[in-house]
Amino acid sequence: MLYAKDITVSLGSKPVLHGITCTAAAGEVTAIVGPNGSGKTTLLRALTGDIAHGGQIALNDRDVTGMQAWQLASLRGVLPQATPLAFPFTVIEVVRMGLMAGVSAGRNHLPEQALAQVDLTGYENCFYQELSGGEQQRVQLARVLCQVWEPTLDGQSRWLFLDEPVSSLDIAHQLQVMQIARAFAEGGGGVIMVMHDLNLTAMFSDKVILMKNGRIVKTGTPVEVIANEPLSDAYGCKIDLSRPAPATAPLFHPATVSTH
Amino acid sequence: MIPSFFKLTAATCVAVLVLGAPSSAQQPTSDDRIVSIGGAVTEIVFALGQEHRLVARDTTSVYPAAALDLPDVGYMRRLSPEGVLSVNPDLILTEPGSGPAETLDILAEAHVGLVQVPGDYSAEGIVNRVTSVAAALGVEDEGAALAEEIRAELDAAEAEAEALSGGNRPRVMFILSMPGGRINASGIDTRADGIIRMAGGENALPEFSQYRILSDEAIITAAPDFILMMDRSGGGDHATADEELWSHPAIALTPAAENRAVIRMDGAFLLSFGPRTADAVATLAAHLHGG
Amino acid sequence: MVALSDTLARGAIRGTDRAVLARRVSVFLIILLVIVSLYSLTTGAAGTSAAQALATWITGGEVSLRDRVVLLDIRLPRLMMGVLVGASLAVSGALMQGLFRNPLADPGIVGISSGAGLGAITAIVLGPLLPVAFVSLLGHYLVPFAAFLGGWGTTLLLYRVATRKGRTSVATMLLAGIALAAFAAAISGILVYRADDNQLRDLTFWSMGSLAGASWSKVFTATPIIILGMAAAPFLAKGLNALALGEATAGHLGINIQLVKRIAILSVAASTGAAVAMTGGIGFIGIVVPHLLRLATGPDNRYLLPNAALLGAILLIVADMISRVIIAPAELPIGIVTAVLGSPVFLWILLRRRGVLDL
Repeated sequence: MLYAKDITVSLGSKPVLHGITCTAAAGEVTAIVGPNGSGKTTLLRALTGDIAHGGQIALNDRDVTGMQAWQLASLRGVLPQATPLAFPFTVIEVVRMGLMAGVSAGRNHLPEQALAQVDLTGYENCFYQELSGGEQQRVQLARVLCQVWEPTLDGQSRWLFLDEPVSSLDIAHQLQVMQIARAFAEGGGGVIMVMHDLNLTAMFSDKVILMKNGRIVKTGTPVEVIANEPLSDAYGCKIDLSRPAPATAPLFHPATVSTH
Repeated sequence: MIPSFFKLTAATCVAVLVLGAPSSAQQPTSDDRIVSIGGAVTEIVFALGQEHRLVARDTTSVYPAAALDLPDVGYMRRLSPEGVLSVNPDLILTEPGSGPAETLDILAEAHVGLVQVPGDYSAEGIVNRVTSVAAALGVEDEGAALAEEIRAELDAAEAEAEALSGGNRPRVMFILSMPGGRINASGIDTRADGIIRMAGGENALPEFSQYRILSDEAIITAAPDFILMMDRSGGGDHATADEELWSHPAIALTPAAENRAVIRMDGAFLLSFGPRTADAVATLAAHLHGG
Repeated sequence: MVALSDTLARGAIRGTDRAVLARRVSVFLIILLVIVSLYSLTTGAAGTSAAQALATWITGGEVSLRDRVVLLDIRLPRLMMGVLVGASLAVSGALMQGLFRNPLADPGIVGISSGAGLGAITAIVLGPLLPVAFVSLLGHYLVPFAAFLGGWGTTLLLYRVATRKGRTSVATMLLAGIALAAFAAAISGILVYRADDNQLRDLTFWSMGSLAGASWSKVFTATPIIILGMAAAPFLAKGLNALALGEATAGHLGINIQLVKRIAILSVAASTGAAVAMTGGIGFIGIVVPHLLRLATGPDNRYLLPNAALLGAILLIVADMISRVIIAPAELPIGIVTAVLGSPVFLWILLRRRGVLDL
């Protein structure tokens, strides 16, 4: 269980998050959506401890401020929006960085399995810097999976914090990544993801948090949040979900997810 | 695979040790093997007729020409211990200031003698130098004779200079170099200062010691009658160098510039304070006093 | 199984599993180091043969004093110093490149070079003004001691400036380092102005670097400091690897990045500080060695750091052999040799890989 209370973040003197209180349950996929500048990524960064913030955060009933970096690392993995790489490591070397001494020591088979999960088998010895943005994002996800391979360990849930994990991916891989998140949650782990794509959010999440201007404006199930009124309000444009697609502009919604 | 690899390595190591090394140097054939450091010291050794005992010299030892045939151990403040030892010396004769200290320590450990010759920049200093070198070489009689000869020459040269000057001591500025268009000139406590005074001149910059980069005001205030410089072109064309000198804005306002009075002399000849110094004094005096 | 994508079809560069290659390179470098060391003992301006001396000694004969001095008091301490200094410069270079996430960072980037240079010039120019007792106590160590103090002090100062509330900003450290270097240059300028000719020459030669001053006492003094400094390196390897992903991600992976930064900076300050203090300014080893190794076996610091130590030692020993022999019986400052060898190699590397990898 992730419990965040009264989270405030300011950039200089300008407040960006105004006292956010929210929860996320293990075994569920929680999505944070909202327009640009609503503070979604800022909230995620506060939850992962990247930026200074006011308020309290408890993960698995423990206050995170008291925890050391390695303790947190054994509990949760973080996937940022984009990850530059300063040196020419190969894909497998990057994924191996997710293996942590202690928790993952001696588990050298994990990197290859993780790469298989994100459909990058065969890329082990390619240079990370040569890959496309989407491929790089998948490599990073493989690294994160290496770090928190099991959704639960010793009775504790483990967590995935994902910042726009599918924004740079093609359709097939978007579905694949969302399915990985889904499977992780169903295994007992917790997933919190910042999302732009409302369709995928509706398809794969259990709980949606809608933000606007640094505040939460609605929390609930996808059916409750992804509805005309809350969305029109938050995004400031008229949204009508019941309107059928015009003949000249097909609406894309995959009926099934492909299996290999 | 691995055992044979290490065998190969071991064989290579042995081969390197045995084959890679040049043979040992031969045993010395004469009693003394001497390294002379400092232009004046080398000149004195030659003047005493002891040059057959020299095995190496330093970079400043450029006279006589035969000295240039000897191996050069480099800059005297930066001697390489193995380099010096490679000529198998028994004795090092040096002017003050050779180093670094670690090298001298190692040479002492290797039982190589070191004699430091005193280094005054005056007539007395030259004579002392001669007698010290002679004593170190064990040729005191020749040394005394040479010292007398040099003393007589120096006295004569200084007297001549005095006579020529008629009591008038022209102001002389010695310019070592002109880096980036600025003037690097000599104050007191330098060899240049010493030779200027011996030749009956007066140092235009008595306010400081050693060398300084001068401001324009300092140059104008110094008001030298003559500019003295080292001749870097070996007696060849000075036209461009002179143009550069006179076009310096502060120099152009000096009495020396009015008369285009620049004197260029070979550096080793002028400044070594050895056997040739009497000649140098005479030559300089002639320039200064128009003899 | 989905077919391999366009990326692979484009013929993107594929490396082999570089860990295996890196281990093989380590073995090769160890053997090369042994061979080069032995060769350096047999090479020199004096024609002393190590093999003959060894043979004489073993058979109970008397080795001449001169040969003993050459082998044991000149060549051997020089070899030891070369190994220490070469290794520490290369490892420090790799550490700084990992810390600043830039392959062009050199060990002096945290202020060691400008600080050490300022210390040296202060000692050279103001040394005569110090009380005689103090100077004679330090003896030959006056300049190295001052250089070490200068380098160490500058680095600590920069670290303080760049660290707030326990977080060290390497960007601030870099910029502050530039400012401090300018300040040090100004002070040096004043001292240079006051220096006489001999002092200026001493300073010039100091800054060109030399192993000529290597004596056993210097080796014994420098060894513990350099070894202590380098001992921290293996523990930093994983942390520096993770730093390549950015500080935030490295933190998420459980690395204590502030501790990694602090240890890296202190390690470099100690080992490079001592190396520069003893031997003056020797350039290029810190940049060229890690670079060459990265191109050969990849940027993984777990293999890069030990291999850098080996290759750095080898290169410095070779450079020292050249400096001792090329204008014998005089000696070329070793900084000149490393620069003359290092810059074309560096240029060649960059031109060869131009457009292939974005470094």
